[in-house]
Amino acid sequence: MKEKIAHEICKVSELPPGERIIIEIEGKSIGVFNVHGEFFALRNTCPHEGAELCKGTITGMNLPSEVGEYNWVRDGEIIRCPWHAWEFDIKTGKSIFNPHKVRVKCYDVEVEGSEEKSVATFPVEVNEEDIVVVYL
Amino acid sequence: MKLIDCDVHNVPVSMKEISERMPAYFRQRGIHMPGSFGIKNPMGVLRVDAQGPNGEPAGSVPSVMKEQLLDAYDMDYAVLIGAKFLGIGVHPEVDFALAIMRAYNDWQSEVWLADDKRFLGSIIVTQMDPVASAAEIRRMGKQKQVVQVVMTSATRVPLGDRYYWPIYEAAQEMGLPIALHPGSECTGVSESFSAGYPASYLEWHTNLSQNFMAQLTSIVCRGVLNEYKELNFVFVEGGFGWVPSLLWRLDKNWKALRNTVPWLKRAPSEYVFERCRFTTQPVEEPFGRGELEQTMRMMQAERTLMFSSDYPHWDNDSPVRAFPKLDDDLKQAILWKTAAELYHLTD
Repeated sequence: MKEKIAHEICKVSELPPGERIIIEIEGKSIGVFNVHGEFFALRNTCPHEGAELCKGTITGMNLPSEVGEYNWVRDGEIIRCPWHAWEFDIKTGKSIFNPHKVRVKCYDVEVEGSEEKSVATFPVEVNEEDIVVVYL
Repeated sequence: MKLIDCDVHNVPVSMKEISERMPAYFRQRGIHMPGSFGIKNPMGVLRVDAQGPNGEPAGSVPSVMKEQLLDAYDMDYAVLIGAKFLGIGVHPEVDFALAIMRAYNDWQSEVWLADDKRFLGSIIVTQMDPVASAAEIRRMGKQKQVVQVVMTSATRVPLGDRYYWPIYEAAQEMGLPIALHPGSECTGVSESFSAGYPASYLEWHTNLSQNFMAQLTSIVCRGVLNEYKELNFVFVEGGFGWVPSLLWRLDKNWKALRNTVPWLKRAPSEYVFERCRFTTQPVEEPFGRGELEQTMRMMQAERTLMFSSDYPHWDNDSPVRAFPKLDDDLKQAILWKTAAELYHLTD
């Protein structure tokens, strides 16, 4: 397998929790997300009709439940496509309604020290000056 | 391949654009449409990626619409439908509704049709006053880029009723089809669905097809297509998977009950295939491969089905992604030919 290449995205301070940025790497449009201090990256193309998935609303979801119950969970961990509102798990790229068959590609993300480019193991105390790096 | 989008939604940046075109009394009241009975789409109905550069509402900036839709898909024409204002059809304060109707129609011509020849307009009318609506159709209907009359599919009395016929007479006279578009169901003075009020947006949105079925049945059975022999209808955004089974049922019942509607001289389905058109979005997504093509065959899609995107709403369809691979002739009919003939577009 081809070795993955590191692509520096931005400083941690430039991507605060709850935010996303959309960048192009090797001709692919990719959304990078800060979910409660952890970083994730998804292909910016919905498998349904090809819309720019990562421009959608970042939200939570209701768990399957009994009649009349609403269990709102995972606030900030779900992205809904701007077309048709399909829900995807930002952490895995898997859709909520059919996680095994309907999914979007996700990429490895690391936070690396800005001084020396050594990879910090995650989760750690993240320095605002550290760099968010996507591997693909 | 040439391409027409038969359902595109334009809105003003601010409601002032409409209200400033209204007579003094109504102008100072602003725009108030009938409210819903409490159910709204929790995600909102607009694509969140379609706002203008300064946060303008989706569908309010012509240049953004052109970039994301007309230019993106190399579209020849986009038919504008002012869905946000179709609630005038169930607005209980009729004079207020008529003021909004005239102001919207003027605004559409001045702001959108004047902006680009590819934009085609729909005259909005209100079923609350068919005579005043007929006058509006005659006032606005001569413009080259105006291609149809549109009204809400939500009603108290189904649309085949003779009460509405002044609207149909004026539309036929001006050579314009009548389009029906959903959105006001269960609001204003309209009725709920047959079984009663839905309890979620999911129920409401699903049942819209039910309303379209009732309107089509009414229009055919009450003889609108017999009385107005040159008039065509366009069923926009009401689905189309139901068309075959409704027509089977109509034809079967007509064989036994023809005496109750003796003006139907041929099987009801024949009138529908000739004079009624259906738009594609939200495209049906059947369980199995090949089933959409089969549904299209059953409804004679090569002469009844026309592409629509519903841009910039949340459930909009892409002309290149919404369909499986279709036979070239069928694809051309859906994307261009049927609508081009209906709207008299020559090039």
